[in-house]
Amino acid sequence: MILERSGSIMKSYFDIEGDGGSDVIAQVEAQQEAVREALSGVRNLVAVGSGKGGVGKSTVTMGLAQALKGRGASVAILDADFNGPCQAHLAGLDAHPWIPSPQGLAVPRRQDGIGVVSMGSLVPASQPVSFSTVSHGDEHVWRSTKEFAVLGQLLSSMAWGSLDFLLFDLPPGAERTVQYADFLPSGVSFVLVTVPSDISRSVVARSVSALAGTSAQMLGYVENMAGYFCRDCGEIKPLFPSSGTKLDLPLLGRVPFDPELASLCDSGWPERRDEAHKAVEAIHVVAENLLQALEAQE
Amino acid sequence: MKFLCVSCDEPMKLEKTESPQQGTLSAMFECPECFTQIAMLTNPSETQMVQSLGVKIGPGGADSAAKCPFSGALPQMEGAAPSEEGPRWTREALSRLENIPDFVRPMAKQGIEHYAESQGCPIINEAVLEEARGKFGM
Repeated sequence: MILERSGSIMKSYFDIEGDGGSDVIAQVEAQQEAVREALSGVRNLVAVGSGKGGVGKSTVTMGLAQALKGRGASVAILDADFNGPCQAHLAGLDAHPWIPSPQGLAVPRRQDGIGVVSMGSLVPASQPVSFSTVSHGDEHVWRSTKEFAVLGQLLSSMAWGSLDFLLFDLPPGAERTVQYADFLPSGVSFVLVTVPSDISRSVVARSVSALAGTSAQMLGYVENMAGYFCRDCGEIKPLFPSSGTKLDLPLLGRVPFDPELASLCDSGWPERRDEAHKAVEAIHVVAENLLQALEAQE
Repeated sequence: MKFLCVSCDEPMKLEKTESPQQGTLSAMFECPECFTQIAMLTNPSETQMVQSLGVKIGPGGADSAAKCPFSGALPQMEGAAPSEEGPRWTREALSRLENIPDFVRPMAKQGIEHYAESQGCPIINEAVLEEARGKFGM
Protein backbone atom coordinates (compact mmCIF):
# COMPACT_ATOMS: atom_id res chain seq x y z
CA MET A 1 0.00 0.00 0.00
CA ILE A 2 1.33 3.45 -0.89
CA LEU A 3 0.76 6.07 1.78
CA GLU A 4 -0.51 9.42 0.66
CA ARG A 5 -0.27 12.87 2.18
CA SER A 6 -2.62 15.65 1.17
CA GLY A 7 -3.55 13.82 -2.00
CA SER A 8 0.04 13.26 -3.22
CA ILE A 9 2.17 10.17 -2.81
CA MET A 10 4.59 10.19 0.09
CA LYS A 11 8.23 9.28 -0.37
CA SER A 12 8.94 5.66 0.39
CA TYR A 13 12.09 3.92 1.67
CA PHE A 14 13.99 3.70 -1.61
CA ASP A 15 13.21 7.30 -2.54
CA ILE A 16 15.54 8.44 0.25
CA GLU A 17 19.30 8.09 0.00
CA GLY A 18 21.15 7.11 3.17
CA ASP A 19 19.32 6.99 6.47
CA GLY A 20 19.80 10.61 7.47
CA GLY A 21 22.38 9.77 10.11
CA SER A 22 24.54 6.75 10.85
CA ASP A 23 24.11 5.22 7.37
CA VAL A 24 24.15 1.72 8.81
CA ILE A 25 23.75 0.06 5.41
CA ALA A 26 26.81 1.88 4.05
CA GLN A 27 28.79 0.87 7.14
CA VAL A 28 27.85 -2.77 6.65
CA GLU A 29 28.81 -2.54 2.97
CA ALA A 30 32.13 -0.97 3.99
CA GLN A 31 32.73 -3.89 6.35
CA GLN A 32 32.13 -6.34 3.51
CA GLU A 33 34.48 -4.41 1.25
CA ALA A 34 37.15 -4.42 3.98
CA VAL A 35 36.85 -8.23 4.18
CA ARG A 36 37.20 -8.56 0.40
CA GLU A 37 40.24 -6.26 0.46
CA ALA A 38 41.91 -8.17 3.33
CA LEU A 39 41.41 -11.46 1.50
CA SER A 40 42.52 -10.18 -1.88
CA GLY A 41 45.84 -12.02 -1.59
CA VAL A 42 44.21 -15.37 -0.80
CA ARG A 43 43.89 -17.69 -3.81
CA ASN A 44 41.52 -20.28 -2.37
CA LEU A 45 38.92 -19.97 0.38
CA VAL A 46 37.81 -23.37 1.59
CA ALA A 47 35.22 -23.80 4.33
CA VAL A 48 35.22 -27.09 6.19
CA GLY A 49 31.75 -27.66 7.58
CA SER A 50 29.29 -30.42 8.20
CA GLY A 51 26.08 -29.54 9.91
CA LYS A 52 26.74 -32.33 12.41
CA GLY A 53 28.86 -31.71 15.47
CA GLY A 54 31.59 -34.01 16.72
CA VAL A 55 32.50 -35.46 13.34
CA GLY A 56 36.07 -34.16 13.37
CA LYS A 57 35.82 -30.97 11.31
CA SER A 58 38.65 -29.33 13.23
CA THR A 59 40.93 -32.34 13.00
CA VAL A 60 40.25 -32.71 9.29
CA THR A 61 40.84 -28.98 8.81
CA MET A 62 44.21 -29.09 10.56
CA GLY A 63 45.15 -32.29 8.73
CA LEU A 64 44.23 -30.73 5.40
CA ALA A 65 46.24 -27.63 6.22
CA GLN A 66 49.28 -29.73 6.95
CA ALA A 67 48.82 -31.87 3.84
CA LEU A 68 48.49 -28.76 1.65
CA LYS A 69 51.48 -27.19 3.37
CA GLY A 70 53.43 -30.35 2.62
CA ARG A 71 52.70 -29.77 -1.06
CA GLY A 72 54.33 -26.36 -0.87
CA ALA A 73 51.19 -24.29 -0.37
CA SER A 74 50.98 -21.37 2.06
CA VAL A 75 48.07 -22.09 4.36
CA ALA A 76 46.19 -20.49 7.23
CA ILE A 77 43.17 -21.56 9.24
CA LEU A 78 40.49 -19.33 10.67
CA ASP A 79 38.63 -20.99 13.51
CA ALA A 80 35.11 -19.72 12.86
CA ASP A 81 33.67 -21.71 15.73
CA PHE A 82 33.64 -18.95 18.36
CA ASN A 83 31.68 -21.06 20.81
CA GLY A 84 34.00 -24.05 20.69
CA PRO A 85 37.31 -22.77 19.37
CA CYS A 86 39.73 -25.68 19.40
CA GLN A 87 42.15 -24.89 16.57
CA ALA A 88 44.46 -22.99 18.93
CA HIS A 89 44.84 -26.07 21.11
CA LEU A 90 45.13 -28.39 18.14
CA ALA A 91 47.84 -26.13 16.72
CA GLY A 92 49.69 -25.83 20.01
CA LEU A 93 48.94 -22.10 20.11
CA ASP A 94 46.95 -21.81 23.35
CA ALA A 95 47.71 -18.63 25.25
CA HIS A 96 49.55 -17.34 22.21
CA PRO A 97 49.51 -13.53 22.13
CA TRP A 98 48.08 -11.67 19.17
CA ILE A 99 50.54 -9.03 18.07
CA PRO A 100 49.80 -6.02 15.86
CA SER A 101 52.05 -5.47 12.87
CA PRO A 102 52.20 -2.28 10.80
CA GLN A 103 49.87 -3.95 8.26
CA GLY A 104 47.29 -5.37 10.66
CA LEU A 105 47.12 -8.13 13.17
CA ALA A 106 49.94 -10.62 12.58
CA VAL A 107 48.67 -14.15 11.93
CA PRO A 108 49.87 -16.52 14.71
CA ARG A 109 51.83 -19.38 13.18
CA ARG A 110 52.87 -22.88 14.07
CA GLN A 111 56.51 -23.80 13.69
CA ASP A 112 55.65 -25.49 10.40
CA GLY A 113 54.36 -22.13 9.09
CA ILE A 114 50.64 -22.85 9.17
CA GLY A 115 48.79 -19.73 10.33
CA VAL A 116 46.05 -20.31 12.88
CA VAL A 117 43.62 -17.62 14.01
CA SER A 118 41.50 -18.96 16.84
CA MET A 119 39.81 -17.29 19.78
CA GLY A 120 41.18 -20.24 21.72
CA SER A 121 44.53 -18.40 21.78
CA LEU A 122 42.95 -15.62 23.84
CA VAL A 123 40.14 -17.23 25.81
CA PRO A 124 41.01 -20.09 28.16
CA ALA A 125 39.43 -23.41 27.19
CA SER A 126 37.35 -23.54 30.36
CA GLN A 127 35.78 -20.12 29.71
CA PRO A 128 32.85 -19.44 27.40
CA VAL A 129 33.32 -16.72 24.82
CA SER A 130 31.01 -14.07 26.18
CA PHE A 131 30.02 -10.76 24.66
CA SER A 132 29.22 -7.71 26.72
CA THR A 133 25.63 -6.62 26.22
CA VAL A 134 23.15 -3.95 27.18
CA SER A 135 20.34 -6.44 26.72
CA HIS A 136 20.61 -9.21 29.25
CA GLY A 137 18.37 -12.20 28.65
CA ASP A 138 17.97 -11.52 24.94
CA GLU A 139 21.16 -13.16 23.75
CA HIS A 140 19.25 -15.54 21.49
CA VAL A 141 18.05 -12.50 19.55
CA TRP A 142 21.38 -10.89 18.68
CA ARG A 143 24.16 -13.42 19.31
CA SER A 144 24.35 -14.78 15.78
CA THR A 145 24.44 -11.26 14.31
CA LYS A 146 27.24 -10.36 16.70
CA GLU A 147 29.28 -13.42 15.82
CA PHE A 148 29.18 -12.61 12.13
CA ALA A 149 30.18 -9.01 12.82
CA VAL A 150 33.10 -10.32 14.87
CA LEU A 151 34.04 -12.73 12.09
CA GLY A 152 34.01 -9.86 9.60
CA GLN A 153 36.20 -7.71 11.85
CA LEU A 154 38.62 -10.57 12.35
CA LEU A 155 38.84 -11.28 8.64
CA SER A 156 39.48 -7.65 7.78
CA SER A 157 41.94 -7.02 10.61
CA MET A 158 44.36 -9.88 10.01
CA ALA A 159 47.44 -9.33 7.84
CA TRP A 160 46.75 -12.45 5.75
CA GLY A 161 49.20 -11.41 3.05
CA SER A 162 49.63 -13.80 0.16
CA LEU A 163 48.12 -17.22 0.82
CA ASP A 164 47.33 -20.23 -1.34
CA PHE A 165 44.66 -21.44 1.08
CA LEU A 166 42.60 -20.01 3.87
CA LEU A 167 40.63 -22.79 5.52
CA PHE A 168 37.60 -21.96 7.64
CA ASP A 169 36.79 -24.36 10.45
CA LEU A 170 33.03 -23.89 10.73
CA PRO A 171 30.79 -24.47 13.74
CA PRO A 172 28.19 -27.25 13.66
CA GLY A 173 24.61 -26.76 12.49
CA ALA A 174 23.18 -27.05 8.99
CA GLU A 175 21.61 -23.59 9.29
CA ARG A 176 24.92 -22.14 10.47
CA THR A 177 26.70 -23.68 7.49
CA VAL A 178 24.31 -21.87 5.16
CA GLN A 179 24.75 -18.61 7.08
CA TYR A 180 28.50 -18.85 6.51
CA ALA A 181 27.91 -19.53 2.82
CA ASP A 182 25.92 -16.29 2.72
CA PHE A 183 28.43 -14.32 4.74
CA LEU A 184 31.79 -15.40 3.33
CA PRO A 185 33.04 -13.74 0.15
CA SER A 186 31.89 -15.25 -3.11
CA GLY A 187 34.23 -17.91 -4.42
CA VAL A 188 34.41 -19.83 -1.15
CA SER A 189 34.29 -23.60 -1.65
CA PHE A 190 32.85 -26.03 0.86
CA VAL A 191 34.10 -29.39 2.04
CA LEU A 192 31.68 -31.28 4.26
CA VAL A 193 32.73 -33.77 6.89
CA THR A 194 30.65 -36.70 8.06
CA VAL A 195 31.14 -39.91 9.95
CA PRO A 196 29.72 -43.10 8.42
CA SER A 197 26.66 -43.24 10.68
CA ASP A 198 23.21 -42.84 9.21
CA ILE A 199 22.42 -39.98 11.59
CA SER A 200 25.49 -38.01 10.61
CA ARG A 201 25.05 -38.60 6.89
CA SER A 202 21.42 -37.51 7.14
CA VAL A 203 22.41 -34.24 8.79
CA VAL A 204 25.13 -33.65 6.21
CA ALA A 205 22.63 -34.44 3.44
CA ARG A 206 20.49 -31.65 4.89
CA SER A 207 23.47 -29.28 4.73
CA VAL A 208 24.08 -30.30 1.11
CA SER A 209 20.45 -29.50 0.23
CA ALA A 210 20.62 -26.20 2.06
CA LEU A 211 23.91 -25.19 0.45
CA ALA A 212 22.53 -26.07 -2.96
CA GLY A 213 20.24 -23.09 -2.56
CA THR A 214 23.21 -20.73 -2.25
CA SER A 215 25.98 -19.71 -4.63
CA ALA A 216 28.52 -21.76 -2.66
CA GLN A 217 30.59 -24.35 -4.47
CA MET A 218 30.69 -27.78 -2.86
CA LEU A 219 33.89 -29.67 -3.61
CA GLY A 220 32.94 -32.91 -1.92
CA TYR A 221 32.80 -34.63 1.41
CA VAL A 222 35.19 -36.42 3.72
CA GLU A 223 34.12 -39.52 5.58
CA ASN A 224 35.92 -39.25 8.88
CA MET A 225 36.20 -42.06 11.43
CA ALA A 226 35.73 -44.48 8.55
CA GLY A 227 36.71 -47.46 10.65
CA TYR A 228 39.47 -47.47 13.23
CA PHE A 229 43.08 -48.35 12.69
CA CYS A 230 44.08 -51.23 14.94
CA ARG A 231 47.77 -50.94 15.70
CA ASP A 232 47.89 -54.52 16.94
CA CYS A 233 46.87 -56.12 13.68
CA GLY A 234 47.54 -53.18 11.32
CA GLU A 235 44.05 -53.39 9.90
CA ILE A 236 41.21 -50.92 9.64
CA LYS A 237 38.11 -52.28 11.34
CA PRO A 238 34.55 -50.89 11.12
CA LEU A 239 33.35 -48.38 13.70
CA PHE A 240 29.82 -47.76 12.41
CA PRO A 241 27.32 -49.93 10.55
CA SER A 242 27.16 -48.97 6.89
CA SER A 243 24.65 -46.24 6.07
CA GLY A 244 22.16 -46.20 3.25
CA THR A 245 21.96 -42.41 3.17
CA LYS A 246 23.40 -41.19 -0.10
CA LEU A 247 25.27 -37.92 -0.29
CA ASP A 248 25.01 -36.22 -3.63
CA LEU A 249 28.61 -35.05 -3.55
CA PRO A 250 31.99 -36.44 -4.64
CA LEU A 251 33.78 -38.40 -1.92
CA LEU A 252 37.17 -36.79 -1.32
CA GLY A 253 38.42 -39.55 0.93
CA ARG A 254 37.85 -41.79 3.93
CA VAL A 255 39.86 -41.09 7.06
CA PRO A 256 40.13 -43.87 9.64
CA PHE A 257 40.13 -43.19 13.36
CA ASP A 258 43.59 -43.72 14.80
CA PRO A 259 43.57 -43.73 18.63
CA GLU A 260 47.22 -42.71 18.76
CA LEU A 261 46.66 -39.75 16.47
CA ALA A 262 43.62 -38.78 18.53
CA SER A 263 45.85 -38.74 21.57
CA LEU A 264 48.44 -36.64 19.73
CA CYS A 265 45.72 -34.16 18.75
CA ASP A 266 45.10 -33.44 22.41
CA SER A 267 48.69 -32.33 22.75
CA GLY A 268 48.80 -30.56 19.38
CA TRP A 269 48.69 -31.92 15.87
CA PRO A 270 52.13 -33.36 14.96
CA GLU A 271 54.29 -30.95 12.97
CA ARG A 272 55.52 -33.56 10.54
CA ARG A 273 53.81 -36.08 8.33
CA ASP A 274 54.04 -39.44 9.97
CA GLU A 275 53.45 -42.37 7.65
CA ALA A 276 52.70 -44.53 10.67
CA HIS A 277 49.41 -42.67 11.10
CA LYS A 278 46.90 -44.09 8.66
CA ALA A 279 44.66 -41.11 9.29
CA VAL A 280 47.39 -38.68 8.21
CA GLU A 281 48.03 -40.73 5.10
CA ALA A 282 44.31 -40.69 4.30
CA ILE A 283 44.11 -36.93 4.73
CA HIS A 284 46.88 -36.56 2.16
CA VAL A 285 44.62 -38.42 -0.27
CA VAL A 286 41.81 -35.99 0.63
CA ALA A 287 44.15 -33.04 -0.03
CA GLU A 288 45.09 -34.47 -3.43
CA ASN A 289 41.45 -34.91 -4.37
CA LEU A 290 40.64 -31.44 -3.06
CA LEU A 291 43.32 -29.92 -5.29
CA GLN A 292 41.94 -31.81 -8.28
CA ALA A 293 38.41 -30.65 -7.50
CA LEU A 294 39.61 -27.05 -7.27
CA GLU A 295 41.48 -27.40 -10.57
CA ALA A 296 38.38 -28.81 -12.22
CA GLN A 297 36.43 -25.83 -10.91
CA GLU A 298 38.76 -23.30 -12.57
CA MET B 1 15.44 2.64 9.21
CA LYS B 2 14.62 6.10 7.87
CA PHE B 3 12.36 8.86 9.13
CA LEU B 4 10.20 11.03 6.91
CA CYS B 5 8.59 14.32 7.85
CA VAL B 6 5.04 13.73 6.72
CA SER B 7 4.21 17.45 6.48
CA CYS B 8 7.20 18.29 4.26
CA ASP B 9 7.76 14.87 2.64
CA GLU B 10 11.44 15.36 3.49
CA PRO B 11 13.77 12.80 5.05
CA MET B 12 14.68 13.73 8.60
CA LYS B 13 18.29 14.08 9.65
CA LEU B 14 19.86 12.50 12.69
CA GLU B 15 20.92 15.33 14.97
CA LYS B 16 22.31 13.53 17.99
CA THR B 17 22.23 10.33 19.96
CA GLU B 18 22.38 9.75 23.67
CA SER B 19 22.54 6.62 25.79
CA PRO B 20 20.65 7.76 28.89
CA GLN B 21 20.25 4.54 30.88
CA GLN B 22 20.39 0.78 30.98
CA GLY B 23 21.20 0.14 27.35
CA THR B 24 18.55 2.42 25.93
CA LEU B 25 19.33 4.81 23.10
CA SER B 26 17.73 8.15 22.28
CA ALA B 27 18.19 9.33 18.72
CA MET B 28 16.91 12.77 17.80
CA PHE B 29 15.91 13.54 14.22
CA GLU B 30 15.03 16.87 12.69
CA CYS B 31 13.28 17.85 9.49
CA PRO B 32 15.59 20.17 7.52
CA GLU B 33 12.57 22.05 6.12
CA CYS B 34 10.25 22.74 9.06
CA PHE B 35 12.70 21.85 11.87
CA THR B 36 10.21 19.55 13.50
CA GLN B 37 12.06 17.27 15.88
CA ILE B 38 11.25 13.74 16.90
CA ALA B 39 13.10 11.26 19.08
CA MET B 40 13.41 7.55 18.50
CA LEU B 41 13.81 5.71 21.78
CA THR B 42 15.07 2.15 21.64
CA ASN B 43 14.85 -0.48 24.31
CA PRO B 44 18.02 -2.40 25.31
CA SER B 45 17.18 -5.30 23.01
CA GLU B 46 16.82 -3.00 19.99
CA THR B 47 20.01 -1.16 20.91
CA GLN B 48 21.90 -4.42 21.20
CA MET B 49 20.64 -5.66 17.84
CA VAL B 50 22.10 -2.64 16.06
CA GLN B 51 25.32 -2.76 18.10
CA SER B 52 25.68 -6.39 17.11
CA LEU B 53 26.15 -5.32 13.51
CA GLY B 54 29.43 -3.74 14.60
CA VAL B 55 28.41 -0.34 13.28
CA LYS B 56 28.74 3.10 14.80
CA ILE B 57 25.56 4.94 15.68
CA GLY B 58 25.32 8.70 15.56
CA PRO B 59 25.51 11.61 13.13
CA GLY B 60 28.20 10.55 10.67
CA GLY B 61 28.64 7.36 12.64
CA ALA B 62 30.59 9.41 15.15
CA ASP B 63 29.47 7.83 18.39
CA SER B 64 31.01 4.42 18.46
CA ALA B 65 28.66 1.76 19.69
CA ALA B 66 31.41 -0.85 19.72
CA LYS B 67 32.61 -2.09 23.05
CA CYS B 68 34.71 -5.07 23.95
CA PRO B 69 32.23 -7.93 23.74
CA PHE B 70 34.62 -10.29 25.43
CA SER B 71 35.21 -8.04 28.39
CA GLY B 72 33.23 -10.43 30.54
CA ALA B 73 35.93 -13.04 30.00
CA LEU B 74 38.78 -10.75 30.96
CA PRO B 75 38.82 -11.29 34.72
CA GLN B 76 39.08 -15.02 34.14
CA MET B 77 41.99 -14.83 31.71
CA GLU B 78 44.90 -17.04 32.62
CA GLY B 79 47.58 -15.37 34.65
CA ALA B 80 47.24 -12.27 36.73
CA ALA B 81 46.55 -8.94 35.12
CA PRO B 82 49.68 -6.85 34.73
CA SER B 83 50.36 -4.84 37.81
CA GLU B 84 49.88 -1.10 37.83
CA GLU B 85 53.66 -0.87 37.75
CA GLY B 86 53.60 -3.06 34.63
CA PRO B 87 55.19 -2.15 31.32
CA ARG B 88 54.42 1.22 29.80
CA TRP B 89 53.43 1.63 26.17
CA THR B 90 55.01 4.09 23.80
CA ARG B 91 52.66 6.13 21.63
CA GLU B 92 53.83 4.31 18.48
CA ALA B 93 53.24 0.88 20.00
CA LEU B 94 49.83 1.96 21.25
CA SER B 95 48.89 3.19 17.80
CA ARG B 96 49.67 -0.27 16.46
CA LEU B 97 47.09 -1.63 18.86
CA GLU B 98 44.54 0.23 16.74
CA ASN B 99 45.13 -2.51 14.15
CA ILE B 100 43.47 -4.93 16.53
CA PRO B 101 39.67 -5.14 16.47
CA ASP B 102 38.00 -3.49 19.47
CA PHE B 103 36.58 -6.71 20.78
CA VAL B 104 39.92 -8.46 21.26
CA ARG B 105 42.12 -5.43 21.92
CA PRO B 106 42.07 -5.67 25.73
CA MET B 107 42.99 -9.35 25.65
CA ALA B 108 45.71 -8.85 23.04
CA LYS B 109 47.11 -5.92 25.03
CA GLN B 110 47.18 -8.02 28.16
CA GLY B 111 48.94 -10.86 26.34
CA ILE B 112 51.65 -8.52 25.05
CA GLU B 113 52.11 -7.03 28.52
CA HIS B 114 52.57 -10.50 29.96
CA TYR B 115 55.17 -11.19 27.28
CA ALA B 116 57.00 -7.93 27.98
CA GLU B 117 57.01 -8.64 31.71
CA SER B 118 58.35 -12.13 31.12
CA GLN B 119 61.17 -10.60 29.08
CA GLY B 120 61.87 -7.95 31.71
CA CYS B 121 60.89 -5.12 29.33
CA PRO B 122 59.64 -2.08 31.29
CA ILE B 123 58.58 -0.31 28.08
CA ILE B 124 56.61 -1.72 25.18
CA ASN B 125 57.73 -0.06 21.98
CA GLU B 126 57.63 -1.12 18.35
CA ALA B 127 60.92 -2.99 18.78
CA VAL B 128 59.39 -5.12 21.53
CA LEU B 129 56.39 -5.86 19.31
CA GLU B 130 58.69 -6.86 16.44
CA GLU B 131 60.74 -9.01 18.80
CA ALA B 132 57.57 -10.74 19.99
CA ARG B 133 56.45 -11.33 16.42
CA GLY B 134 59.81 -12.91 15.64
CA LYS B 135 59.80 -15.00 18.77
CA PHE B 136 56.34 -16.35 18.02
CA GLY B 137 57.13 -16.96 14.36
CA MET B 138 54.72 -14.34 13.08
